[in-house]
Amino acid sequence: MKSKASISPPQQINAFLIVAVICSNQVGVGVMGFQQQLYLHAKQDAWISVLVSFILAHLSAIIMIKTLELYQTKDLYEINQDVFGKLIGNFLTILYISYSGSIFFLILKMYIEVINTWVFYNLSPWFLAATLLLLLVYAFLGDFRVIVGVSFFSFVLTFFWLFSLIPPLKYANIDYLLPVFQSDILSILKGTYSMTFTIVGFEIINIIYPFIKDKKNVKRYTHLSLFATLLIYFPILLVSLVYFSGEQLSKTLWATLTMLSVVRLPFVERIDIFMICFGVIIILPNLCLYAWAVYRGINSIVKIRLATFIWPFSGLMFILSFFAKTVTQLDEVNRIFMHVGFIAVFIYPILLYFLALLRRKFRKTQVIQ
Amino acid sequence: MFGKKKQNDHIPSDDDKGLDINGTFSPIKQEFIDEIKKITHSPADLIIKEVTESIVIAFIENLVDKRILEEHLITVVEHTEPITPTELQRILPIPRLKLTEQKKEIIYDMLAGTVIIYIDGYCEVGLANIASIQNRSLSAPENESQVIGSQVGFNESLGTNVSLVRSFIRNPNLCIEEFSVGKQTNTVFSMIYVNSIASEQNIRIVRERINNLNINDLIDSAMLAELIEDNSYSIFPQMLLTERPDRFCDGLLNGKIGIIVNGSSMAILCPTSFLEFFHSREEQNLRWQLATFIRLLRFNAVFLSIYLTPLYVASLTFHYEIIPQPLLVPLSESRAIVPFPPIIEALILELIIELLREAGARLPTKVGQTIGIVGGIVIGTAAVQAGITSNILIIIIALCALASFTTPNYMMGNVIRLLRFPIIFLAGFWGYYGIMLSLCLLIIHLLRQSSLGAPYLSPLYPPRILDWGTAIIRLPIGLLKTRATSNGTFNREVMQEKDKPQRDDVMKE
Repeated sequence: MKSKASISPPQQINAFLIVAVICSNQVGVGVMGFQQQLYLHAKQDAWISVLVSFILAHLSAIIMIKTLELYQTKDLYEINQDVFGKLIGNFLTILYISYSGSIFFLILKMYIEVINTWVFYNLSPWFLAATLLLLLVYAFLGDFRVIVGVSFFSFVLTFFWLFSLIPPLKYANIDYLLPVFQSDILSILKGTYSMTFTIVGFEIINIIYPFIKDKKNVKRYTHLSLFATLLIYFPILLVSLVYFSGEQLSKTLWATLTMLSVVRLPFVERIDIFMICFGVIIILPNLCLYAWAVYRGINSIVKIRLATFIWPFSGLMFILSFFAKTVTQLDEVNRIFMHVGFIAVFIYPILLYFLALLRRKFRKTQVIQ
Repeated sequence: MFGKKKQNDHIPSDDDKGLDINGTFSPIKQEFIDEIKKITHSPADLIIKEVTESIVIAFIENLVDKRILEEHLITVVEHTEPITPTELQRILPIPRLKLTEQKKEIIYDMLAGTVIIYIDGYCEVGLANIASIQNRSLSAPENESQVIGSQVGFNESLGTNVSLVRSFIRNPNLCIEEFSVGKQTNTVFSMIYVNSIASEQNIRIVRERINNLNINDLIDSAMLAELIEDNSYSIFPQMLLTERPDRFCDGLLNGKIGIIVNGSSMAILCPTSFLEFFHSREEQNLRWQLATFIRLLRFNAVFLSIYLTPLYVASLTFHYEIIPQPLLVPLSESRAIVPFPPIIEALILELIIELLREAGARLPTKVGQTIGIVGGIVIGTAAVQAGITSNILIIIIALCALASFTTPNYMMGNVIRLLRFPIIFLAGFWGYYGIMLSLCLLIIHLLRQSSLGAPYLSPLYPPRILDWGTAIIRLPIGLLKTRATSNGTFNREVMQEKDKPQRDDVMKE
């Protein structure tokens, strides 16, 4: 069992950096085109779905932090071991690792798809995968502080995206939002469900919790970071709802990018091209943090050094990137992972919390006996 | 590692040819004289003089102050004729006089300008330090010039430089520790810090790194900085070299540790964060609004200087669509007759600029200026007329060069210029994606660096908003309450509320 001593003070970060970590982990390649799925379910009430999904995220985060506070210095994997015992706990850990690893792979693959679709039609995907993975390795070998640093810069730079939302407003038609509440509650909830893949990312708190210096502030900053993410997604969705007509939006795969392509500045047009390349720094923290989640998981089962983990891991991801080739293939995988992500982020933490409580009660009575 | 090598294989080292200089000298006069001659290989400027029958003095002629030697040493010794070494201390009017038996110490002191006073029959000798080593007079710092503020720069003498520092900081807490390294050169240098401000941990780290040095020679402080910095493989310097005593003292007063090396006009300051390389001491002397403006201008210039040419190359190679039509027309017009792809065009011009800079730096000042004008105007105009490059690229490249020269630190300015080349390649091969790769790589690399263990990018990351007042903008002095955390200062508070500048004398009436 690892204790607090395994994480040395220089590795620890201040609680306010959670905002950067969680926000940059939530905002990923999904931000480029989450509107279509959402619109197909909830129509013009999609923005209500987004609000609902963020409320759910807040609730889930409360439960996660409550679970973590029960144990103070342990991360999800160690709690698994404690609650379910070594065998089942490790099994769950492996499931969680494969969840994180798959998300990592999806992000990598989706970003490569975006670049291939929008910027370089014939730049080979293996080259893109190799460069992104090398960047990941370089950041990863700098240890946790560097990963958080990358997230921090990504977080700051992400907010520049929002400025590019102003020009499309010129073509906004507020009537597209009306009437409100045309969709029934079930559709809105379905829309919320389709947001899952976009909103996941805050579960990283389960893994980075032991690395935070002032743990009493975790709650505040986690909720703040969810709010910050909302501040990014909500305006983008609103602007795309008033910019596109319903018909257009349901046919547009990368709505954010399509919307950006009308932006015209005196010295630059087609800002979308610029933004997609800029995406490297937006997805880099996602890759780093999910890789970190996998690393910590493996580390909780077998002790392993950073370098001995990251090279084989990147190699594996590189080889895997040769399979899954087309967008349609990715879409099916996406749908599966929506369910997996929903379980991992919204259901599993609640289950874990009650089991951890039970376990604690059980242990107390044992001690008394 | 070298398992095949025989263990008793003797690797010849530089020390083998020298003689053994441990132990003490013989108390017999003639033996003493012979031994001194033997150890120093009796150089032409070694003078051994028998002042009286029992007293011998030995010194290196070129290293001592001859006036003091004659008036206060030889005359006094001749008149009073001391019999024991201890008596020397009483009679000689020389403040830096010590007695020792150690042969090694005696020899090395003599080579630094000390006069040996030997009395027949004693192993112990008197060492009178009356060194007078020629050094350049103080002059204005050439590499870090400033308009407003002190106009004095360090010179090559350790003693003068330390006295300059002391003239800025009159404080008993100013600590000076002397070290000497280099098996061949025995270079002396001082580590200087203000005890009440500098962090104990930093002092220990520097001291340990210096003590672990085992090198043959040390000629300049830049070499020492490379030897003791955190990562000498990185392209970015992690210790600041300055030739300005005011900047040096500013650093000391903010909790940094300084090192002055004898024979070098550049002093080392550490720990240094990335942003501090783009600060100039002059900003402290200007109005804070102006200083803030200049500083922000300079930060932007650095970014521009690195990324403008690559952006041009990437846009014209891959992303024509992002250039608006009104801009595209003059661009394509000026590029129409250029036979090269943008990357070659940019590389040619960048290389020309680098050649001009290097030629200007190596030539004497007057010729250097001419080269700049001739090169800039003649080559620039001719290149465009000959159709090798486009007009717009000339503007961009000149802008980049200009921007890179705004970096006040020479070393960092060079790094900025060098960084451009790999990024131009990336931009030429993979467009904006290549540029983003380079930006990410740069950010990650900077995040991984440290200076004496302190994060290199501080206070940007880890974000310390309180420090931004001194690192990114310049706050008015009255608003500055704390010193920067990145120096790990012992005492962060600079000014308390009650110490703020009071102006209620006239203003109230």
